[in-house]
Amino acid sequence: MSTVPDHVPAELVKDFSYFTGPGMCPMRGGDPQGALAALHDGPPVFYAPNNTYDGYGTWVFVRAEDQRRVLQDAETFSSHRKIFEKALGYDLPTIPLEVDPPEHGAYRSLLNPLLSPKRVMAMEAANRARAVELIEGIKARGNDCEVMNEFAFPFAVGVFLEFLGLPQSRREEFLGWADKQFHGTPEERGEAIRTVIAFMQELVDLRRREPAEDFMTFVVQAKVDGREMTDKEAVGMGALLFVAGLDTVAAAIGFDFRYLAENPEQQEKLRAEPQGVVLAVEELLRAFPTVIMTRIASRDTEYDGIKIKAGDRISCPSMVANRDPQEFPDPNTIDLARPNNRHVAFAYGPHRCLGSHLARRELAIAMEEWLKRIPTFRLKDGVAPTTYGGHVFGIEDVRLAWGAAGR
Amino acid sequence: MKIRVVKEKCAGHARCWAQSPEIYDLDDEGYILDGDIDVPEGQERAAWLGAKSCPERALVIEDYKKDSAA
Ligand code: HEM
Ligand code: SF4
Repeated sequence: MSTVPDHVPAELVKDFSYFTGPGMCPMRGGDPQGALAALHDGPPVFYAPNNTYDGYGTWVFVRAEDQRRVLQDAETFSSHRKIFEKALGYDLPTIPLEVDPPEHGAYRSLLNPLLSPKRVMAMEAANRARAVELIEGIKARGNDCEVMNEFAFPFAVGVFLEFLGLPQSRREEFLGWADKQFHGTPEERGEAIRTVIAFMQELVDLRRREPAEDFMTFVVQAKVDGREMTDKEAVGMGALLFVAGLDTVAAAIGFDFRYLAENPEQQEKLRAEPQGVVLAVEELLRAFPTVIMTRIASRDTEYDGIKIKAGDRISCPSMVANRDPQEFPDPNTIDLARPNNRHVAFAYGPHRCLGSHLARRELAIAMEEWLKRIPTFRLKDGVAPTTYGGHVFGIEDVRLAWGAAGR
Repeated sequence: MKIRVVKEKCAGHARCWAQSPEIYDLDDEGYILDGDIDVPEGQERAAWLGAKSCPERALVIEDYKKDSAA
């Protein structure tokens, strides 16, 4: 456990961890997001001395308004946190996640049009067909399934391959990497990261040699600030999409389907009125978000009288801001028709999730097609999925059944 | 009624546009167009809902009561 730095007053230190606190360890039937809602009864900012997977202390910002202020102020709160350094032995910044403004803006301007709301509409039909094919396959196999392995990951990986312009025949290979990267031991994770980096480097080489109509060709041919994109930049972009766009979508589908399995009356409502799915997806993103935004103070600063030193880690857990009673009336009640739902599942500020428009459509398509094709479903044999906290919250083993199976 | 657009706060969530496309227009990157918006009569409610959907608080509602009462 790291020691508490001198500038942190003792009364702001709290025995808290995303990894070991109540509700955070992997458990069946857990509610890691709900477990943190009680932080709103305590101080709005506190210090947790051992709150990262590698043992660092972090400040934790509880309220939505404070998180907004932190995340909008990228000058004071930097995003360059060297995510891959440990696995690779050198720093390979993921782009644009770990780049600060103003450089950040150049990369975003390049990438934004590729995932803009209008562009995402053009991907709609192919993505829907992918979901339908998977669900029909599940139906043909019987009256039950495990959502993560049979639907959520294959769907998210399929969308990802399509976006990258890679053949769907690589799905199994990618699924293996994704599984190790997100759910493996620390060694397996390191290995998976190295594999993904090596793959992206090969893809960069290939697209420099043989241009095609795809994402990586676009990236290697693009200019940033009037110069060519380097290999390191292109690899940092490709690898980030892998890390950012698979597990997040799959986990959201897992949490959504668990909620629906436990609330059959909500299933019926949405089946009767499928146009409610779009708002339902927003509310479930509010209630069960998975990402914790981390920043590093780039200089000494003071936040509402609290001294923060350059190098301090700042943690903005989206699942906590999303349960802020000052922002969301009755925050622990799930209301699938909640109006003005300005949740922070996709962050605030310049790093707002680049894939948010695509992710929203993926989640809506998944829910619409599932409800349309699968009759009232429940947790198979009443076995609740395994949930966990940590640096990205997650859910595993979401077994569902319908009809006569597994009563 | 007017919507003041604080362009530098816009992070491209596109919630305003998703809520009320008739009022809020996005550029090719998916960010709000610069410049304040004069809300046409009869569209106050749509404009209000769109502004209220902005996670960044980049859309400031001005003169709502005055105009809608008129
Ligand atoms: C439900 C699914 C998703 C959730 C909850 C989610 C959440 C987030 C969050 C909270 C951030 C900000 C992180 C930070 O500021 O530290 C982020 C950034 C990012 N996300 Fe997502 N994401 C999702 C899906 C996707 C998808 C499908 C893609 C790609 C197609 C994607 C690509 C990115 C990228 C590239 C960034 C970095 C943006 C930047 O730094 O400017 N995400 N995401
Ligand atoms: S909702 Fe706000 S942040 Fe999003 S596009 Fe509109 S103005 Fe920009």
